[in-house]
Amino acid sequence: MADTILLERRGVPSAAICTEALQASANAMAAIQGAPGYRYAIVPHPVSSLDAEGLRAHAKLAGPQVLEILRGPGAGAETRGDT
Amino acid sequence: MAIDEAEREQPVDIDPLLEAIEYCYEQGWTDGLPVVPPTPALVERFLAETDRDPDEILVRLDNFRRTATVRQIAVSAAMAGCRPEYLPVVLAAFEAVIDEGWPAAGGWQSTTGGGPLLIVNGPVRTELGFNSRGNVFGPGFRANATVGRAMRLIILNVFDVRPHELDQSTQGNPGKYCLCIAENEEESPWEPLHVELGCSPGDSAVAALHTRGIDFIDNRQTADAHHILNDIGDSIARTGTILRAEKRIGVIIGPEHAQFLAAQGMTKRDVKEYLVENAVRWLGDLRRAGKDGVRPTPSNAPISTGSMHGWAEPSGSPEDAPGWDQRVGVLRSADDVLVVVAGAPNAGVSAVAQPLGFPPHFPGRSVVRPKR
Repeated sequence: MADTILLERRGVPSAAICTEALQASANAMAAIQGAPGYRYAIVPHPVSSLDAEGLRAHAKLAGPQVLEILRGPGAGAETRGDT
Repeated sequence: MAIDEAEREQPVDIDPLLEAIEYCYEQGWTDGLPVVPPTPALVERFLAETDRDPDEILVRLDNFRRTATVRQIAVSAAMAGCRPEYLPVVLAAFEAVIDEGWPAAGGWQSTTGGGPLLIVNGPVRTELGFNSRGNVFGPGFRANATVGRAMRLIILNVFDVRPHELDQSTQGNPGKYCLCIAENEEESPWEPLHVELGCSPGDSAVAALHTRGIDFIDNRQTADAHHILNDIGDSIARTGTILRAEKRIGVIIGPEHAQFLAAQGMTKRDVKEYLVENAVRWLGDLRRAGKDGVRPTPSNAPISTGSMHGWAEPSGSPEDAPGWDQRVGVLRSADDVLVVVAGAPNAGVSAVAQPLGFPPHFPGRSVVRPKR
């Protein structure tokens, strides 16, 4: 989470992907980095034990969210904290 | 008599103290146990035990956007129940924890749930009453218990790494409350850890290893060095601890085992090299646990912290398929094995400290700087 926020601060459009189980710490880190409410893509948990088919299914869920973050009003450093 | 009677008539009012302890709870400043309220006067007594500037910044961790000063460490030590004269050890312990490299690399927030194992060496052990013998992992010794606890209070309060928030540990472990031992230098056949790391015997030092758990090895059946080390190696290579191909390991050898090993001519280096060769699993064991995608890294390949090397899907082969008896080592180098001697010489008991993966700097270390 910190990485994408810091990248955006440097002008690099970025999107983080997080599983549902790790949202609390993701939100806490966003707040620490000065971006409370920072928007990121959310996928079901877990990921690490998925096979290739499971990963493809997760990617299909994450893809549209990532594109929306990068293209939509949520993209860019100037819109941190928009959710 | 008159004084005694006067004291009986005016008992000390502890209610304000109890209220202060409750106040600390209400502020979210505790690890779940009561803390000593860090009054300014108490903190000043701690700061009087060091020459260091109270406002000296010991570390700046950009991942938390926080710094830690000498004063903040003193406050944490007071809250943990330390005596003021422990402060130079607490400062060294904190520097060792930072030196290991995990705090800047996400170790404190990890789902893996480790905490710092501190190892104290040198004269400060006896001067301040650190336990290095029976019950070395606790309980019962103020110096061990409170210096170890101070690390957790620093992590909680100075860096704001709290459970269910930044600390995403899946299960945690009891060592996250406190985990501080001293080396039993007097009953060790080998040079103490701090001397091995370059200090003189008259120095005092603290080493740190971010530890996920302590596994015991109970082997009273034999005095044979290879039997004992094979048994320790089995715990090092337990399949449940194998996450990636490379790991480092802490081995806390009980004095009885250490004496057996030394009597058969083994130096500390010999012990480490033997464990590298013999902390192994059969490939069939890894298949059985779905971990046969974890394969050794060539010993000449570079290692990077957090490397995902070896994190591969299981092959799906039956555990007894051909090749099941291939030995798969889990350690690359003797330099990845930490050996200390601790505990009582009353049974064939040793322990393995399983760290988080491949610590960036192994072990973290710092010298205790006494007040001049």
